[in-house]
Amino acid sequence: MITQPSTPAGASAPQHVRGAVIEARNLTKRYGPTVTALDQLNVAVGPGITGLIGANGAGKSTLIKILLGLLMPTSGQARVLGHDCASDGFAIRTLTGYMPEHDCLPPDVTATEFVTHLGRMSGLPATAARERAADSLRHVGLYEERYRQIGTYSTGMKQRVKLAQALVGDPRLLLLDEPTNGLDPAGRTAMLDLIARIGSEFGISILVASHLLGEIEQICDNLVAIDAGRLLRADSISSVTQASAALLVEVDEGTELLLAELSRRGLAPVAYQRGLLIELAGEQTYDVVRDSVADLGLPLSRMEQRRHRIEELFREDPAAPGSTVPGQTTGAANVS
Amino acid sequence: MSADAKAAARQPTTAANDSSAGVIHNIGYRRYDGARLGRAQIVRALMWHSLRGAFGFGRGAKAKIFPVLLFGLMCLPAAVNAVALATNPGGGPIISYDGYVPSLRAIVMLVFVALQAPNVVSTDLRNHTLPLYFARPIGRIDYPLAKLGAFVLACLAMIEIPLLVLYVGNVTQQHGASAVWEQTRQLGSGLLYGAAWAVLLASIGLLLASLTGRRVFAICAVGIPLFFTYILANVITHIGQIAYGPAAFGQPSKVASLAGLISPFTLLGGMLHWLQGSEATGLIRANDLQRVIIGNYGWAYGLVFVLLLIAAVGGLIARYQKVGVA
Repeated sequence: MITQPSTPAGASAPQHVRGAVIEARNLTKRYGPTVTALDQLNVAVGPGITGLIGANGAGKSTLIKILLGLLMPTSGQARVLGHDCASDGFAIRTLTGYMPEHDCLPPDVTATEFVTHLGRMSGLPATAARERAADSLRHVGLYEERYRQIGTYSTGMKQRVKLAQALVGDPRLLLLDEPTNGLDPAGRTAMLDLIARIGSEFGISILVASHLLGEIEQICDNLVAIDAGRLLRADSISSVTQASAALLVEVDEGTELLLAELSRRGLAPVAYQRGLLIELAGEQTYDVVRDSVADLGLPLSRMEQRRHRIEELFREDPAAPGSTVPGQTTGAANVS
Repeated sequence: MSADAKAAARQPTTAANDSSAGVIHNIGYRRYDGARLGRAQIVRALMWHSLRGAFGFGRGAKAKIFPVLLFGLMCLPAAVNAVALATNPGGGPIISYDGYVPSLRAIVMLVFVALQAPNVVSTDLRNHTLPLYFARPIGRIDYPLAKLGAFVLACLAMIEIPLLVLYVGNVTQQHGASAVWEQTRQLGSGLLYGAAWAVLLASIGLLLASLTGRRVFAICAVGIPLFFTYILANVITHIGQIAYGPAAFGQPSKVASLAGLISPFTLLGGMLHWLQGSEATGLIRANDLQRVIIGNYGWAYGLVFVLLLIAAVGGLIARYQKVGVA
């Protein structure tokens, strides 16, 4: 896992990255004169499962649509599996399975018929489409239910059908847009397990778009974070999550005293809501906090390990290795 | 997330096999290495799928009720003709190929297009299925063309199969090669004219139905314009004749002559008169109420037919150029 140091804005675009599944170079998409969905995005994604993290409106769906060749970028270039997105959309869409964020299933046909039909639309002959539809539905955990009309399905089953239709054409790459949308906790876990298994056992590269880092970090090898159409950070999941762990400490009174004491002891606490947020360096951080609170005799009401919100995670951590500060977001990052 | 926990997440099958509901069994993944269809073959597959959908196949039994009923209604005149000829061997055919029964054909096709065009295009809009199509090797122009091809074929089936039934009924009562040849010649022009109906109504119907994803609205969007223009054309034709009288000796008034351009049905009727040199074949028309007056403006009917067809097909293609996906 190598993350190149970020280059300042205006530097030459990175060269073609060998073995990259997805590659974007200075990718910009504007809707009209005012709305910029993607802004000089540079990123390269290797094989494996990659999380695409960003708040709603950060440009995740726009990026996916450009990658599928459905939207033309305003400027810049994107490549998927070595094919140019602007000129070679057909080839990309033959090799790629797409699971949209929103409901996209007809209620009055059976899952088998629907997935078979979409298998044909992916270019499979009739017999192969039937076989692969049955296989795909089994892989996602639909057995006898697949002969029922989709309208009778639960949300979790519908999400599985959506995944099955993305899988039916035997893609090299899956683009999943918010696959856990609308699922209960058990359903989320099952869906994430399924995605993890497709990525590891089936050997299919996956890009999972989500606004919930805590959720997809469990299954991702790499992480790409975007905000307002710019790359915040592209890195391996381990380096991101290590840097993001923080300790939230709340005392009933004397928050300022504690802040001063912790600073004196070499930590860098930040006032956060009603407490203090301290970067978690290891076990000794807990000890330092405990000792500080005890020495000051303050009433400790809460001490909790937590994660920053996505935006904070990538912005308030400029010192972390490999991270990209907001002022340098046009820099290149290479996840391989 | 620690490395151990991640490893656990990577091996869901061992954990999941114990629980009962929603179990994901490991059956192994099989790659597909066989041949893939080209773009044209995918479009053909989509067309075939949509053609089945236009008659309710692949959906529930309820979806088949109206198409089957309408098709039966459309075949009725041909059946009556066959029975009449069989019971009265001396008489000639009572129904022509080109006109068939114009008002019946107009009403049946109006209902068919209004009810079934939404099934062909609106359902994909309503269910937001379009992103799934366009995320596959299907071009923006492929989808509307496949749908149009399917619905033209569906309308052709509705119009041409009754003509073939009519032909069979007539030919079995004919004696001599020349009589059979005459029937075949008339069938040929009838089929050609029926194709004009199918192409025009299918493209107008799909364009109007593709404007909305709501089925009820789509039915209204297709049915109401077709129905009211039909009524309007007939009313204006009559008023034009009564109010203005013949414009010149032997010629109907301009208003009456051009009123038929308003509705696709009277447009098709007027085009037939123009192509046949105003008067029809010697066969008796079952219903002359729908007789369209074209006066000296027959050429306008041909021109408007072509323009309307181009506009409808172009509009349908344009509609799917900018329809939102994902």
